[in-house]
Amino acid sequence: MKLSEAWRLSKTCYREMVYRSLAEERGRMWWGAFGRNRQGKESQDDLELTNRALRIAKFDKAVVAFFNVVVSLAPFASLFLGSPGFGLTSAISLSLAVTFGFTALYAIQTLSSFMSPESSALMSTMPLNRDEFSLITLFSFIRSFDYMVIGSIISQVMLVAYLTASPVATLIMFAASTVNALFAVAVALWFSRIFQRNMLRGGRSKANTVLRLLFILMWGLLLVAVGFLFSIPWYIVPNLQSTLLSAAHLWNSLLDLLYPFSTGIVITASVSNVTFTTLLVASAAMVGYAFLAVFAGKWSLGMVRAVSQGVGVNITRVTAKDFSVNPRGPLLGYVAKDLKVASRNPATAFFFALPVLETVIIILLDSNMGTLRTALVLSGTSLGAIFALLLPLALLSAEGKGLEYTKTLPISSRRIVVPKALVSTATFVPVPIALATLSLFKPLTSPASLFIPFLIVLPVASASIFEIKLFLRTAAKGKIASVLNDAEKLTVGVVVILIPEVAYAVGFLATFNHAFSLLAMSAVAFAEFAVAFFVLRRS
Amino acid sequence: MQRKFGFGSEPLIEISALTKQFGSVQALSDVNLRVMPGEVYGLLGPNGAGKTTTIKTILGLLEPTSGWIKVVGLDPAKNPIEVKSKIGYVAENPIVYDSLSTRDFLEFVASIRKTEKASTNELVAQLASAFDMAQYFDSPIATLSLGMKQKVALIASLIHQPAVLLLDEPLNGLDAKSSRIVKELVGFHAEKGGAVLFSTHIMEVAQQVCTRIGIIYQGKVIAEGTLDELRGKTEGSGGTLEEVFLKLTHEESEVADTMRMLREAFFKNEAK
Repeated sequence: MKLSEAWRLSKTCYREMVYRSLAEERGRMWWGAFGRNRQGKESQDDLELTNRALRIAKFDKAVVAFFNVVVSLAPFASLFLGSPGFGLTSAISLSLAVTFGFTALYAIQTLSSFMSPESSALMSTMPLNRDEFSLITLFSFIRSFDYMVIGSIISQVMLVAYLTASPVATLIMFAASTVNALFAVAVALWFSRIFQRNMLRGGRSKANTVLRLLFILMWGLLLVAVGFLFSIPWYIVPNLQSTLLSAAHLWNSLLDLLYPFSTGIVITASVSNVTFTTLLVASAAMVGYAFLAVFAGKWSLGMVRAVSQGVGVNITRVTAKDFSVNPRGPLLGYVAKDLKVASRNPATAFFFALPVLETVIIILLDSNMGTLRTALVLSGTSLGAIFALLLPLALLSAEGKGLEYTKTLPISSRRIVVPKALVSTATFVPVPIALATLSLFKPLTSPASLFIPFLIVLPVASASIFEIKLFLRTAAKGKIASVLNDAEKLTVGVVVILIPEVAYAVGFLATFNHAFSLLAMSAVAFAEFAVAFFVLRRS
Repeated sequence: MQRKFGFGSEPLIEISALTKQFGSVQALSDVNLRVMPGEVYGLLGPNGAGKTTTIKTILGLLEPTSGWIKVVGLDPAKNPIEVKSKIGYVAENPIVYDSLSTRDFLEFVASIRKTEKASTNELVAQLASAFDMAQYFDSPIATLSLGMKQKVALIASLIHQPAVLLLDEPLNGLDAKSSRIVKELVGFHAEKGGAVLFSTHIMEVAQQVCTRIGIIYQGKVIAEGTLDELRGKTEGSGGTLEEVFLKLTHEESEVADTMRMLREAFFKNEAK
C-alpha cells in the first residue's frame, strides 16, 4: 500500500476518534436536560455537533500548532536580541526541548480517545494485512497532532537554514526535528500504556489501592515534569552554551552526549569552530539518537498495532473473595464515584496532581524572598485557585456516557453539583496549608495575610458552583458551545476568585491597614458564597 | 405466596393517550396501557416501533407531547425523583461507568438509592453468585463483555428491590444460563406483586416470560392481551406468536415478497 493511500484512509479512523470523544462529551450536553431531554432536537443536534466538533478539532489543531511554532522559534529570538551567553547551540537545544515537551503533552491528552480498539474496529474488518492496518492506525493517531509536528519541523529547519546558510546544517536540523517528533510520540504512547496497564488492573486489595493512588500522583507529576520542559530549559540551557562547546572536562563531554545538546553542537560545528573532541562526542551521540529514533518509531508502530487490535494491555482478573458493597449515602457515594472515574482517565487524572503543582509553584515563587510578602501570598493563592477551577469542568467531562445511567437514578442535579464543587475545593486546600507552613520559616509582612488563602477557599467553592451551574444553564438551552467551549465558564470562575482579592487590594490602598482589608475581603467572599448557596438551593 | 409490595388492584404503570413527537416524526401515537401488580407485560414490536421511547417516557427521561403517565400513582414529570426511586431499569445497551469496577458501580448505585447495607449485601451476593461474577466483580467494567455488562446492569436494577421493573431487551448478550436466570427473576418479581414491563422483539422470549403482551407498531399499540387472546384476534393464524405478530402488523405478505426477491437476487449472483 502506498503511503499516500494509507494517509488518505487514516482520515476515516481519525474522524471516528474525534466522534468518539464527542460521544463521551454528549453526556455533558445532557446535563442541562437532567431527568428529561428533547430527543427530537437532540438527534438534529447530533449531526450539527459532529460537524462542529470536527471543525473545532481542526481549529484546535491549528491553534496548538501555531503556539508550538511560536515556542519552537522563541529561543532563536534571543540570537537576534543579542542575549549574553545565548548561542546557536543553546537555541537549537532549547527549541527541540520545548517542542518535544509540548508535542508529548498534547499527544498524551489526545491519546485517551485513541487507546481503544473500538476506534479502529471498522478498519480491522477490512481486507488489510497487519502492516497496512498498523500504518493506517498510526497515521490516524498522527493526524491528531500533524499540524504541530509539521509546523515545528518547517519552522526549525527554515530558521536554521536562514541563520547558517548551510545545506548540511539544514539537513541535520531536518533529521533532528523528525527524530524529536518520533521521540515525543513514543514517550506519549509509553505514558498512556503505563496508565492503561495500571488502571485496568483488577483486584481491590489495600496494596492495590495504595499502588493505584501512588500511580495517579506519579502520573500527575510526570505530566507536570513534561510541562516543565517549557520553562526549565529557559533557565538552564543558556548558561550551558560555553560549557557545551568546551571540551575542558569530562563533565562537558558528558553533556555533549545528552539529547538535545548533541544536535545543537553538531549543527553549530557546521558553521563555526568547535573542538574536535566535542564534535566527535556530539556526532556519535546524534547517530546513536538516530538509531534510537528508528527503534522508537518501530516500537510505536508495534504499540499502535497492539492497541488497535486490543492486545496492548493485559487484563488481570482477580477472583473476588466476597461480594460486599458499602452504600455511603448520595453525597459521599457521588464524591467517591467522581474521584474514581476522574482519576482513572489519563486526561483528567492529571488534575489530581494540581495541588502538588500549586504547592511547588508557590514554594518556587517564594524561594528567593526573605519575607513572605502579602502580594506574593495573593498571587500564589490566585494561581492555586485558578488551577483548582479547571477541575469542575474536568469532572463534568469525566462523567461521559455514564451520565445516561445516572439520569435514571433518583437524584437531583443539585445533589450532583455539590460533590463536584467539594472535590474541586478540596484540591485547593493544600495551598493555604503550604503557605501556612512556609510562614513558620519566613516572616510575614502582616499576620493578617496568612488568612487570605484560607478565606479564598470560599470563593473557590462559589466559583466551582457557578461554573457548573453556568454549564447547566447553557446546556439546558441546547447551546452546543456549552459542551465544546469552556472559556466562558472559566472566565466567570476566575472573576469570582479575583473579586475578593481586588477588595483586599482596594481596601489596603484606601487604608493601608491589613486587618481592614481582610475584613473587606471576608465580606465579599461570604457574599459570593451566599449567592452561590442561593443559586444552588434554587436548582 | 405472600405479596411483598401489597399494591392491591391499582395499576403500577398506567399510560393514557400518550403521544410523543420528535420534530416531524410521530414516535408514539395514542398509547394506552396498564400494568397491574403481579403482571409481566411484554411490549413487543419491530425495531423503531416505539418500545424504547415508551420506556424512557415512563422513566421520565422523555417528556410526553400529550397524554399522561402514572407510575405507582405518581406522575414522572411532576415527581421524577420519587418515580425513579420506585423503578429498576435496564437499558437496551448497558451504559454504565466503564472505568469503575462492578463493585464500585454497585456501591455508587446503592449509595444514591440509599439502600440498607445488610439487605443490599445479601441481595448482591446472591445475584453475583448466580451470574458467576466472582472473577469480574473487581475488574473495570470496560474490560467486561456485553453479556457481563448486562449482568451488572441487571443487578443494579434490582439492588433497591423496586416495585416496577422496566427491562428494555434485557437478554441482550446473555448466555443461556443467565437468560434463564433473568426470566426466572422476572417471574419472582411478579410473584411478589411487582410489575414488569418487558420490551423485546424476540417472540419466543415474550411467549415464555410475559403474562400479557402489547404489540406496538409504528408508535401505536395495535393489539393487547394474552397469547390466546391475540390468537383469537387473528383469523387463521398459526400457533406461534411470530405468526400472530406478522398477521397483526400486516407484515406477513410483505415478508414473503421480500424473501422471494432476496432469494432471486442471492442465487442470480451465484449463477454468474
